[in-house]
Parts: sequence; structure tokens; C-alpha cells
Amino acid sequence: MTGTQRKIREITEQFRLIWKEPLLFISILAIFYFLLTFVAFPIFQVFKTSLYINNKLDISNYLAIFSKRYYFQPFLNSMILGVCTATIGTIVGFIFAYALTRTTLPFKNFFRMTATFPIISPPFVVALAAILLFGRSGSLTPYLTKIIGRYSIYGLGGLIIVETIAYAPTAFLVLYGILQAIDPALEEASMDLGASDIKVFSTITLPLATPGIASAWLLVFIQSIADFGNPMVISGDFRVLSVQAFLQITGMYDLSRGSTLAILLLLPTLTAFFVQKYWVSKRSYVTVTGKPTGAMIKKIEWYIKVPVYTCCVVFTGIIFLFYGMIVYGSLQTLWGVDSTLTLKNYVEMFQVGKDYLIDSLTLSTVATPVTGILGMFLAFLIIRKKFMGRGLMEFISMLTFAVPGTVVGIGYILAFNQKSVLFPFILTGTAWIIITLLIFRNMPVGIRSGIASLQQIDPSIEEASTDLGADSNITFRRVTLPMIAPAFFSGLAYSFVKAMTAISAVIFVVSGKWNLITVAILGFVDNFKYAQAAAMSLTLIFIVLIALGIIQLIVNRIGKGARTIEIVG
Amino acid sequence: MKRLTLTLLLVIVLVGSVFMTGLAAGKVLHIYTAFDTEEAKYYIDAFEKETGIDVEWVRMSSGEVLARIEAEAANPQASVWHAGSNTSHINAALKGLLEPYKPNTDFELSEILHAKDWAWTGFYTGAIGFVSNINFLKEHNVEAPTSWSHLLHPAFEKNVAMAYPYTSGTAYTTYATLVQMIGLEKTLDWWEDFDKHSILQYTKSGTACISMVGLGEVAVGIAFSHDIMAKGINAGYPVVMTFPLEGTGYEVGGLSLIKGGPEPELGKQFIDWCFTKQAQDLFQKYNRLPVNPKATVAEGSVTLDQVKLIDYDHIWAGENKDALVTAWRDRIGK
Repeated sequence: MTGTQRKIREITEQFRLIWKEPLLFISILAIFYFLLTFVAFPIFQVFKTSLYINNKLDISNYLAIFSKRYYFQPFLNSMILGVCTATIGTIVGFIFAYALTRTTLPFKNFFRMTATFPIISPPFVVALAAILLFGRSGSLTPYLTKIIGRYSIYGLGGLIIVETIAYAPTAFLVLYGILQAIDPALEEASMDLGASDIKVFSTITLPLATPGIASAWLLVFIQSIADFGNPMVISGDFRVLSVQAFLQITGMYDLSRGSTLAILLLLPTLTAFFVQKYWVSKRSYVTVTGKPTGAMIKKIEWYIKVPVYTCCVVFTGIIFLFYGMIVYGSLQTLWGVDSTLTLKNYVEMFQVGKDYLIDSLTLSTVATPVTGILGMFLAFLIIRKKFMGRGLMEFISMLTFAVPGTVVGIGYILAFNQKSVLFPFILTGTAWIIITLLIFRNMPVGIRSGIASLQQIDPSIEEASTDLGADSNITFRRVTLPMIAPAFFSGLAYSFVKAMTAISAVIFVVSGKWNLITVAILGFVDNFKYAQAAAMSLTLIFIVLIALGIIQLIVNRIGKGARTIEIVG
Repeated sequence: MKRLTLTLLLVIVLVGSVFMTGLAAGKVLHIYTAFDTEEAKYYIDAFEKETGIDVEWVRMSSGEVLARIEAEAANPQASVWHAGSNTSHINAALKGLLEPYKPNTDFELSEILHAKDWAWTGFYTGAIGFVSNINFLKEHNVEAPTSWSHLLHPAFEKNVAMAYPYTSGTAYTTYATLVQMIGLEKTLDWWEDFDKHSILQYTKSGTACISMVGLGEVAVGIAFSHDIMAKGINAGYPVVMTFPLEGTGYEVGGLSLIKGGPEPELGKQFIDWCFTKQAQDLFQKYNRLPVNPKATVAEGSVTLDQVKLIDYDHIWAGENKDALVTAWRDRIGK
């Protein structure tokens, strides 16, 4: 049989399967349509805009990138920042995940809650706290200056600190799920056979966690270079690409060149994505043959314990310091000048911000369940099903996450401000444009956690179900879903939080009728109204916490036996 | 299975209810404002109260407003562009995004307060000034700057902040002022020194440097006098305001009707209202200088006749913005 014949045979085989499971086939088609319309199309519009100047095809935008240092330098800076933050963030996240799943660290719940806390706050809050603490008139500045001399928090150093605090929790969440799902029996077996702790760690734990580590690094890298809230506040003279793209669009009204800068930001992100996929896919991750069990903890040697515990305590302490500073700052009459304690910032917050808060809540509540279900379903299709265009599906679904928010926002306006063949409705100015943006922008997180946990489960369990006569639908619902429930609910909680704290993309699609609280907060941060911004951020964080509690309650009701939400413990 | 169906039903109900509220929208005026959230709310609430018209508004920087209007040109979502330097309004007019409208006012609008074809109108003004931290001045025993060249004083080394001329109307007005005073080449030469020696950081927003000076993050900032008054002195920061003796530029706050906006009549009504005495009196709270001669000027405000103004050409500044900004970025590299 020739290669061509084999290929044709494979394809007909696939079609036969589709015929056997029409529901699956229709779902795949529908998902492709949604991905095409709400992910690829806006980005295509941005790409097109970058290539056209005054309606004429013109590549001078791309030539300018390489001939002007004020475009090229930010590109290098972004790369440096992304690599540093991703590496440090992943290390911190791994140490935390390891400590919480493999050691006898006391107060585990406390550490887990603290470590994930930055996730539920708008990212630029960390930068705000850093300035309140270490800015030129910061609370700790006089003491620190005595120790290390004159320094500046504005720049690469400050940015790495701030972004590590903001994004290490993402790495932690991914790795925590992975380490928890790795069956400790293997490690125990290795230990029983006489391997030392270090040997067990380096030959069993680490290789099994590799896909997770790669995912974590990738996630933090992308988040870091696409982040614009923190660099906006604290980057000083260290200019990064995401901010420059934003400034080009909002400051110079230059949609065309701003889009070009954003496309430039896409290249490293996509490269990272492909490298990870190729490298990770060569390894096997199947370790679980049933439902993941809690790790049994053996005695860990002191030389592992001491540094790991120290790292946890220090990082937790830093988080407390930063958020404590936000609380303290929010109670001051005028930050830096009049430190009389007052509640007036909260009163003002409710006068100015009440409507924003309600809008944020409504839109996020609608978007979250759709995000979660869609994300998990996509993960299932990508990992467990074979069909044409599977790789393309995964690629497109990751796109909104890889593209800087500002550009997604501009892309949405360009794409949905007029009727098109793909989508014959106008969305701008409605709640729908915000909802769809939130859904498709946060979905990759759900997909990622779904993929990571599905990779841990042996497909033979699902095969058994199919062999016993169940179709894809029943297998997914009755077998796969219960096993990936923890990942599903943490994905759900995560996307709710992301929806509530989103800023960079949604700032372009908010309207008079539907506006968001984060947009209002950024206005205050923009104008150095630290105390007011702190008060609003705290209120937002508080509301997110309450909402997460409610999700937890619902989860307990409908999914008895499912694990708790992993995000806040 | 039942649980799953129930969950799905719940989602459908939620989505449906949002859709319904979207459809039930009544007749309202949509505005993009470049004032701060708090300040915009103050004026717009007054308008709603007085006229009974519902206003839905979004706060963005003028750059964002322009980008937004341009992107939405095929299907405009707002009727009025409220505030922001007239430089940006002039830019929008050049791109054909604005609908000329001559407001009904009970006084004559001077020539600098409107476009020739009335594509935009100016409804407040303010001069460029310096804001300095009093504690810093005392500690280092220096005077607050009263000349552009004072900004290069060694005491202010890496201690000056202002916005990027390409992101902020304030900073662009400063830059265009210097260009109009001494020419482009000399301005860029001066700025190169200024950038190397004095500037600690550029910000995105024009008013941010006032709080930075107030907090002692930097010693000196460059901003509009009304912002220095409202966000510096009246906010309680230890700051002092000075002006360059050689002359300074000034801002005209723009107001315009967006071409093809959904509610042109309500938009016109809003623009007319912005020029009334009642509306212009409200500027006292934020120290902006009213253009209606009958309106009251806030106490302590520096009016345009109290400082030395250059013959600032707004139209020229607006029309040449792209070229001037590119020249700046090519030279300064930021």
C-alpha cells in the first residue's frame, strides 16, 4: 500500500467516525465557527490594519520597527522581562507546589490561600503596592536606603519583582494540580528501593512534572510580556512592547503601527508555544490509572526542608506586606502627605464606582460558566479526540491569550463594529462584545488546566467506557468529567476572577451602558490617586472573594465529592 | 444528567436576562469624556439633573477617544466628545470624524475658541506651568523654576517628570509651545539635554506628574495650571505653582459632535449646555478657566491675563502633530 493510499484510508476512517458520532461532528463544527469568528477574525483585522496605511498595502510599518530604536529596544526589553519573570515565577511556583504536596509543611491551607491571593486582584495593584512601599516617598524607602544605598524601584528590577508576585501564583496553580495528580506510589517505590530524596526528586517527580513546568513557564512568559498594567505604573524608563503598542494606539492614534508592534509581540509568544508543544509532546505523562489520590508524605530530609520552607515563608511574607500596604494606603487621607486615617476613600468609591461594580459583576457572571464549559470541552476534544484540524483548533484557542489585550480589544472593535460575512450583527456598544471578549480571552486558562489534568489520566479508562458501549457524550460526562472536575472548577473560578479584574482588552470595548470597575480604578492609578485606587481595588478583591465563596457553595451542591476550588482553598 | 441540564438552564436564563436589559434601552445620550471619572461625573450629573436627559458615558484619555471614534467610524457609538485638548479634536476634524456645529451661546466665542468650520469648540482654557515640591525646594535651597532654562538646574538632576508628548495633550502643548518660541531644531537640542539631565520619567497622563511632585517622587513637573491647582494645591500636596517668564502656551478644552453619532439633537443640547453660566460656574471646583464671561472664576486661579502667554497657534499645533511627534521620537528615542 502506498503512502497516499494509507492517507486516504485514514481520512475515510475519520469520516466514518464522524458519521458514527454526529453530535461530536456538529460540536466540532460549531466550535470552529466560534473560534474563527471571535478569536481569529479580530486578530486578522489587526494584522490587516498593520499592513494598510490609508487603505493602501504598505509594509513601511514593519521596516520602521527595525530602523527605529524606540521600537526595537522595547522588543528586547520585553524579552528580557518575560524570560526573567517566567523563570523566577516558575521556580517560586514549583517550590510552593512541592512544599504543599510533598512535605509536612504546617498551615498548608494558609500558605495556599496566600500564594494564590495575587491572582484575585487586578495585576496593577502589586505595582501600586510596590510604589507605596519602595517608591521615592515609600514607607520602607528610608530603611532600605540605609542598607543598600540609593535605588530606584522604577525599571527592570522593580518590574521583575512585581510581575513575579503577580504571576508566580499562576505557575503555582498549574504545578500544584500536576504534583497533586502524580501518584506518590511511584515516588514511594523509588524510595523503598533505596533512592535518596534528591534522586527521587530528579528522576521521578521532576520528569513527571515536566509538562506542567513547561506549561507554567509558558503561561507566565506570555502573561509577563503581554502585561501592561504593571509596566504602565512602574517601568519608568524601561520601555516594554506591550505598553509601547498601547501608547502608539491610544497616544498617537496610530492604529496601524500600534497593530504592527503588537504583531511583533506575537512572534516570541507563538515561538514559545510551538517549542513547548514539540518538546513536551515527546514525553509521556500518563501516571494515573484511576482517580488522583492525595499524596502520602514520607519524611523529607532537612536540607530540602529548610530552603523550601524558607522560600515559602519569605514569599508569603512579601505578599502580606504588599497587600497590607494597600489596606493601609486606602485608609489614608492623602497618601504620602496626610496620613490621618479615614474612610472617606471608601465613601467616594461608592459614589463614583457603584455602577461600574454592578456591571463588572453582571458581565463576569454571564461569561464565567460559558468560559469554563467551553474550555473544558475544547481540552477534551484536543487531548482525547482525533479529527482533522485538531492542532489548528488548539492553536486558535490559545491565540486570544497570546495576543496583548490592547490588540484584542482593538481587534474586537474593528471586527464587530460592522456586519461581516462571518458575523452579521453589530456588537459594539452592547454587553455582548464584553461578554464574548471575556469568554474567549479567558478560555485558554480553562483549556490549559483541562489539558494538563487530562494528560495525567490514562486514556484506557475512557476506552473501557467506549468498549462497554458508551458513546463520546456519555464517556465524557460520566467518566472524564468527574475525573477532571477539580481542574474544571479551578478553571471556572480562575476565569471569573480574570473577568472581574480584566483591563487591557476590555478598556476598548466598554461603553456608556456597560462599563467596568477596573477601567475606573486605572483612571485613579493613572492620576496617582493611590489612596482611592487602593480603596477601590480592595472593594473589588472583597467582592471577588465573596463571589468565589458562592461558586464554592454551588459546586458543593451540584458536584458532591468533587474537590474544593483550588484557587483560594 | 439532571444536574447538568439544570446548570445549563441557569446559564441560559442568565444570558437571556442580560440580553433583555440590552434591548430595553431607552432614549439616552452617549458621550465619550476625557475628564477624570470623578470630574466628568460632576458635570454630567448636573446636566442630567437640569435637563432630565439620561447620559451614558465612558471616560478615556483623548488619545483613546480618538482611536475609538476612528475605529467606530462605520457605526459611531457616541454623539459627543467631551473635553480633552483641542489639539486632539483638530486631529479628529482632519480625519473627518466630527460634525460641524455652532453652539447657541449667550456670548461671542472668540476666534481661538472654535474651528473655522465649527468642527470643534473650546469650553475652558488653562496655561502651562511648573509645579514644584516645597519641601524639596527648602531642603536644597533652590527657587521654584521661573524659566524654561531653570529646568536644567543641577539641583533638579533626574528630578523632573512630565508626560510623553505623544500620549498627553499637556506634554504636547508644552512641546509645541517651545517649537513655536524657538523653532524645531533648537527645541530638540534643548530637549536632548533636558531628557539626559533632568527627566526621571515620562508618564502617560498629563496630570500624573502633579501627584508625583506632591508625593516627593520628583521635584518638578510640567502641567496645566488648573490641574496644578485642583490636583496639587487644593488636594493638599505641599506644592507651589510658577510660570516661565519667557512665555508659555495654553490649552483650549475641546468639545465636539461626532459625525454620524446616534443622538445628534441631544448632543447639540449638551454642547449648548456646556457654555451656559450654570455649567461654566461648575469649573470652579476643578479650577478650569471658564470661557463664558458671566461665569465665576475659582478663587486663587491664575487667569490667562496674569501670565505671559505666547501667541500659541492651536490649529498649527494640531495639524502638525504627527510630524512634530515623529521628529521628537526620532531625536529623543523614546
